[in-house]
Order: sequence, then C-alpha cells, then structure tokens
Amino acid sequence: MFIKLNIQRFAHVKAQGSTKNNRDSAGRRLGAKLSDGEKCNAGSIIYRQRGTKIYPGTNVGMGKDHTLFAKVSGIVKYERLGRDKKKVSVYEK
Amino acid sequence: MIKVNKKDNIITICGHANSADYGKDIVCASVSSVVYTTVNALERYSSSVIDFEDKDIMTITILKEDEIVKLLIDNMIDLLKSLEEDYPKNINVKEN
Repeated sequence: MFIKLNIQRFAHVKAQGSTKNNRDSAGRRLGAKLSDGEKCNAGSIIYRQRGTKIYPGTNVGMGKDHTLFAKVSGIVKYERLGRDKKKVSVYEK
Repeated sequence: MIKVNKKDNIITICGHANSADYGKDIVCASVSSVVYTTVNALERYSSSVIDFEDKDIMTITILKEDEIVKLLIDNMIDLLKSLEEDYPKNINVKEN
C-alpha cells in the first residue's frame, strides 16, 4: 500500500475567503425621520433615501440626493401614488 | 502544536503546527514528510508490520517489531525530536 505524501497534513486550514472579505462601510442611517401624523417645521428632513423609494408630494421638496424635506410647517402625511408607489406630503395646520 | 506520543507500540500524531498559514507551514511540511516517508518505507518492507490510520489523529500501530522496523521507527522519532529542538512551540514529542 502506498500512502500519498500530504506535506500540509498537520497545517491548520483557515477559512481562506473569510479573511479577505470582511470589510463594510458604516450604515447611512437612511429611512424615515418623521413619521405619519408628526408635526414638522419648514426645512426639516422627512425621509432619507437612495433613489425615489418615496416621492415628494404636496409642500415637500427633494434634494439632489433624493432627501425629502418639508417646505412649510405642518403635519406629515404618507400617501399612495398611483398603483404601487408612495409619496409624502405636508399639510399646513 | 503537533503532539507526537509514542507509548509501547502505538504512535499517535495530532494537532496543527500553526507555524504559518496553510500551504506555507514548513514545520508541518517537515513532520508530514518524515512521517509519510517512514510509513511508506515500512509498508514497502512488509505490509503486515504496522497498522496505519489517518483520521483526525494519525495512529501508527506497530504489529511486528523486528530490527528494521525498530530502526525506521526510531529514526522517525529522532528526526521529530530534532524538529522539536528547533521548533519547540510547534511540535512536542513524548516517548514512554
């Protein structure tokens, strides 16, 4: 019987892949900053997002990074937009 | 740490050298080479002088000890001991 020489028989096999990959950036804290029915002042940020998950509605503006903000002071309202989209509006009191 | 234990007619070898990453571990390569060379030499000499088992623990059981078997086994142990002198943190050889 011939036993094949494995010169790393007593070497510790470390999970190779995992050592190269585990990098990640910090969370961007996206999402709703004001919820439905909350009061807001003009200029306050309502929703942070990547792209337009939620569209700007009445009295709401959108920044170049798609951040939604209130143009007037009032109450925040999340509404449907068409069949499958959402928008957020601010209605003055 | 690789642990080599020779007790009566049974030699057990287990553990990891941990002297470097897999593929670059020279202590492991040396130990493996010494052991496999000895085992293959014994098998070529006669297929009934040792029983070889290679699982988590590598076990060599000497079934029939004659002059040549003793010479090869002692040579292996001596080589592993010389490795232990150079790499005491990576290999430990016990003989009782």
